[in-house]
Amino acid sequence: MISKSIKNYIIFNLILFITFSISVNSFVSIENINVISYIIFHISFIYFIFYFYHFSLFFISFFYGVLFDIFLLNSVGVHLIIFLILTLLFIFFKKYLLLMSSYQIGLLIYFVLIFIFFFEFILAYFLNNIFFNLFEFGKYTVISLIIFIPTIFFLNKFNK
Amino acid sequence: MAPKFKARVLSTTKIIKNISIVSILLLSFFLVLFSKSDYILINSIKNFTSSFINPLTKVVSSPVRFISNINNEYIQFKNLKFENKILHEEIIRLKKWQTLAIQNTRENKVLKRLLNATDNNLKLIKTASLINRNQTFYSNMININAGYEDKIEKNMSAINERGLVGKVIETTSSNSRVLLVNDPNFTLSIKTVSDEIFSIVTGVGDKKQLVSKFIKNNNMPKVGDIVVTSGTAEVFPVDLLVGKISRVENNRFYVLPFVDFNNIDYLQIVTSK
Repeated sequence: MISKSIKNYIIFNLILFITFSISVNSFVSIENINVISYIIFHISFIYFIFYFYHFSLFFISFFYGVLFDIFLLNSVGVHLIIFLILTLLFIFFKKYLLLMSSYQIGLLIYFVLIFIFFFEFILAYFLNNIFFNLFEFGKYTVISLIIFIPTIFFLNKFNK
Repeated sequence: MAPKFKARVLSTTKIIKNISIVSILLLSFFLVLFSKSDYILINSIKNFTSSFINPLTKVVSSPVRFISNINNEYIQFKNLKFENKILHEEIIRLKKWQTLAIQNTRENKVLKRLLNATDNNLKLIKTASLINRNQTFYSNMININAGYEDKIEKNMSAINERGLVGKVIETTSSNSRVLLVNDPNFTLSIKTVSDEIFSIVTGVGDKKQLVSKFIKNNNMPKVGDIVVTSGTAEVFPVDLLVGKISRVENNRFYVLPFVDFNNIDYLQIVTSK
């Protein structure tokens, strides 16, 4: 019998892989599906770091960071740096973060999400010469705002 | 004895954990540092992702692809009547063109024989079909089902029936990655067919048009001029169709590519003869 925490761990890894797979494949007739999936991946990833700390998170950050960079940018850099820094920051500040209420944690995850997108766009500009598009950033922020609560709700359901 | 043993085991685990974290951080640092070079490690990671992870992501995302296809079919079905009307008109127009083209081909053959000219400058390497798209905010790329086993190399041109699609930027044994013309990191030297105005264009943020980066002698083309590859950079073969001038501003112009980047199923990898 698999213990509950291992079961949750596997479920979250599955969520990460499914959202990753959808976000790196574009579908012409469903325009924003990969953007939505990309955002859900990020929300799940932050949630994962927050509630499931294990040193294997570094491997997960490394794995998805490299894969996202190769699939989306064809050179390693942006996602790998962001994911690893995020993991390190959460570990350093974990004891303070765990004192927060659920409402504060929700807000924190949302703001971290927006900051991640912002720094990813900025790093992509510096490392890969990809033009920082304010409209795109706005689009990501608005979609994040819309899907944030339902995603957190489902993640909480999985992680009872 | 037991607590001592336990303490030693714990510390060993901790050391292993710390060593693995440090090695991951170091590996990441080196990967980022050498990511743009052709080192074996980077290439093998790219090969691995292309050969194993890519098919896996395709399988995982297949339900979404299925829904996307149904949606596509529905949209096509909705537009069927309208498209039928347009196609009817186009058939009539094409029949007229066909007569003219047959005449021109005959005339061309005769003139070529007179001039002792060779047929064309393109060498077909492989016709490949699309595996999947990576058209996101970050880049505009597609993956095709042919690689270096099919003699495809980096920087070869990808074309379809409408013109230049992009260039090969990565090859593995059986897959290749093509950077599309409308990617902001794509640079292309072109010339107009009518006045032979040479310039360099690149993709724009909206990923629909190309914008001029440099115009030789500051000669501005006219709206509607057709542009082809100039062949001056020796990356692309000369005279591949690119698009037409859609907008001219003070010191730059925009080119609308002929290729519909959302409807690429097959493409040909070509190189100069």
